[in-house]
Amino acid sequence: MASNSKSKWAVDDEEEAAAVALRKKERDERRRLKEEKARQAAIATAATPSSPSNENERAAKRQKTSPEKENGASTSTSEEGAHLLHFPSRQFGPCGHVDQFELLNNIEEGSYGLVSRARTKGSGDIVALKRLKMEHTNDGFPVTGLREIQTLMACRHANVVKLLEVVMGTSLKDVYLVMEFLEHDLKTLLEDMAEPFLPSETKTLMLQIVSATEYLHSTWIMHRDLKTSNLLLNNRGEIRLADFGMARYTGNPRPKLTQLVVTLWYRAPELLLGAEEYGFEIDVWSLGCIFAELLTKEPVFQGKNEVDQLSKIFALLGTPTNETWPGFRSLPNAKALHPVLSGSTSPPSLSASKFPYITNAGLRLLSSLLSMNPTARPSASEILSHPYFKEDPRPKAKEMFPTFPSKAGQEKRRRRATPQAPERGDAPRLDEQEFAGIFAGRADEEQGAGFSLRLG
Amino acid sequence: MAPISSVEYLSNPLVTSNQLLDLKNSERDNGLSVRFAQAQLTSAAGILLRLPQEVIAQAIVLLQRFWVSSRPEDREGFSPKTFSAATIYLAAKLSATPVAPRSVVNVYAYLTSKASPLLFVNPQGAPTDPDPADYYVSEGTYERERQRLFVCESVVLVGIGFDTRVALPYSLALTYIQVLGVSSASLARRVFEHLNAGLLSPQLLHLTHQPHALAVAAIYVAARETGIKLVEQNWWEVFDVDREDLGFLVLAYGSLANFAEAEAKKWKGIALSLD
Ligand SMILES: Nc1ncnc2c1ncn2[C@@H]1O[C@H](COP(=O)(O)OP(=O)(O)O)[C@@H](O)[C@H]1O
Ligand SMILES: [Mg+2]
Repeated sequence: MASNSKSKWAVDDEEEAAAVALRKKERDERRRLKEEKARQAAIATAATPSSPSNENERAAKRQKTSPEKENGASTSTSEEGAHLLHFPSRQFGPCGHVDQFELLNNIEEGSYGLVSRARTKGSGDIVALKRLKMEHTNDGFPVTGLREIQTLMACRHANVVKLLEVVMGTSLKDVYLVMEFLEHDLKTLLEDMAEPFLPSETKTLMLQIVSATEYLHSTWIMHRDLKTSNLLLNNRGEIRLADFGMARYTGNPRPKLTQLVVTLWYRAPELLLGAEEYGFEIDVWSLGCIFAELLTKEPVFQGKNEVDQLSKIFALLGTPTNETWPGFRSLPNAKALHPVLSGSTSPPSLSASKFPYITNAGLRLLSSLLSMNPTARPSASEILSHPYFKEDPRPKAKEMFPTFPSKAGQEKRRRRATPQAPERGDAPRLDEQEFAGIFAGRADEEQGAGFSLRLG
Repeated sequence: MAPISSVEYLSNPLVTSNQLLDLKNSERDNGLSVRFAQAQLTSAAGILLRLPQEVIAQAIVLLQRFWVSSRPEDREGFSPKTFSAATIYLAAKLSATPVAPRSVVNVYAYLTSKASPLLFVNPQGAPTDPDPADYYVSEGTYERERQRLFVCESVVLVGIGFDTRVALPYSLALTYIQVLGVSSASLARRVFEHLNAGLLSPQLLHLTHQPHALAVAAIYVAARETGIKLVEQNWWEVFDVDREDLGFLVLAYGSLANFAEAEAKKWKGIALSLD
């Protein structure tokens, strides 16, 4: 096929690789079974209860040797238990050393220069090494780093980056995550593309990004820093969600959490307004920002600070009202909004002119993701069944995805223009003066020429 | 209804035969006693720090993993007391109820002082009017202890390969009791007592068996003790536990009281230092 860039050789190589992987898997499985057997044997002999027998002990012993009598049943012992489900057993052990890896290049020259490409000395496998940030040592090992490891370790999903192991350097402060290496992140890729992704490609990307999010949410993990630079892409069209530095488990009822999460441009309005109890909807808002960015190649709300961010959001979507977002006035930072909003009744609207390449269904999906009211946003699993993904053009097969030269693989990167995820500290308070500014400027904002969608 | 627990892991990494043998070979004569006392210290500290039982249990399991997977030289730098403090601090930090390092240092100072109610610390019992000066932690001491706590925390993390996830049997046990149709407050209480006591077992039950097996065994033992009949034949198989594992665990839960008694006799009148 002409459009398929892969040569015959590439396919053969892949088959070969698959066969090798399969053999390795079988070998590992045999080893695991052997180890499991040995473990059972050791358990039976090792630990030493020193005490004399009592009622229960005798019961258990008797039961072990003559099960039929104990239960008055005649189950065949050879078959008993054969149908039981056994957990595959993981192991635990101390950290390995980072010197098993040979550093190749820094992937990101930007903020911290923490991520590098490296080669595993034994196998030659290419990996990404991410050094954990250790700046806040007032509470011992940074809890963010612990959560990053804890949540990543818990994730097994095709669209979540694989954490292979955690290793340390010469000091206890040198801790590295060893991850599978991917050629691109979406942010860098979009910056270098002349045109946005095709609609069919955008769908394939969105489906994978939302699948990863749905998986996290189903395991009670909030990512809290979804954005294009945290979405990795390989040359086979596969997305991996990365950077769990802000991620954490949540629960029901919702715990009180810090609002200092999510990089400003992707931060949901309820966070900007100071909500202390928030949930998975903040990730869905970020998904909306990512969707918009895929469509236009530009981050959709590029605020300079919290107030400016809110003003950019209101400019595109209209101001919230008691009808569209009941209760928003009682959010901590909304107090500053009261005098300004009392007379205002601007209808919320998402202008289509800003997204020229999108269908009606696509625009409906986008406006639902970017609902100001968090309860109006769909859940990740609802997004997956949206008509947008079913209408033409259909999502492009991953194998048909174009390949791009990898900056991470070959050369250093430019410095980033994106603001970083927030640091710890006090959540900002917005003041009235600044808010007055927002609304003063609103009348002059471009409303867009195309039709506008009403939000329900 | 209890809140949905945020961290519902299903399974734990298990100890390997080599790890168990290495532990046995590297442990000194009092190894079992030290681990038993250390687990009690951790539990007592957790209670004084008002931590939920799940957090205390997580700390004890992490501590056990550390004993098993760290190299002997990793364990040299700190006392059993400091390792206990570091894991409690770590487990609390990861939970919904973190505690300040100052509280941890204070509580451990108290529990290892002349005023401590722990018998292996004060074999003659705690004085009736303890002197607060005995466990007062000065600013200077605190600063030093805090630094040690932090370094020790990192040593623990490196020793266990940073896998802090611990699956526990408590909520499983409650579900199983319901499924078996024998819900009663006294049975549930007894099951939890066994599960809590099982954490202290030097047999490292949480490293050798998965939570579902621990839950089933505790129910088996508790049902016998409270005279509740579990009619269904081989009911444990419904929960994917085989007879062999059940037998081992029933024995372990059943013999723990005797082990504790034997330990108390062995150390009667003698202090066991965890410092
Ligand atoms: N597994 C990986 N493979 C390739 N590049 C990666 C990988 N992980 C991270 N990167 C690159 O490093 C950048 C920063 O990594 P990230 O985990 O987001 O750290 P930070 O917390 O500093 O944002 C990403 O935007 C991406 O470009
Ligand atoms: Mg990032």
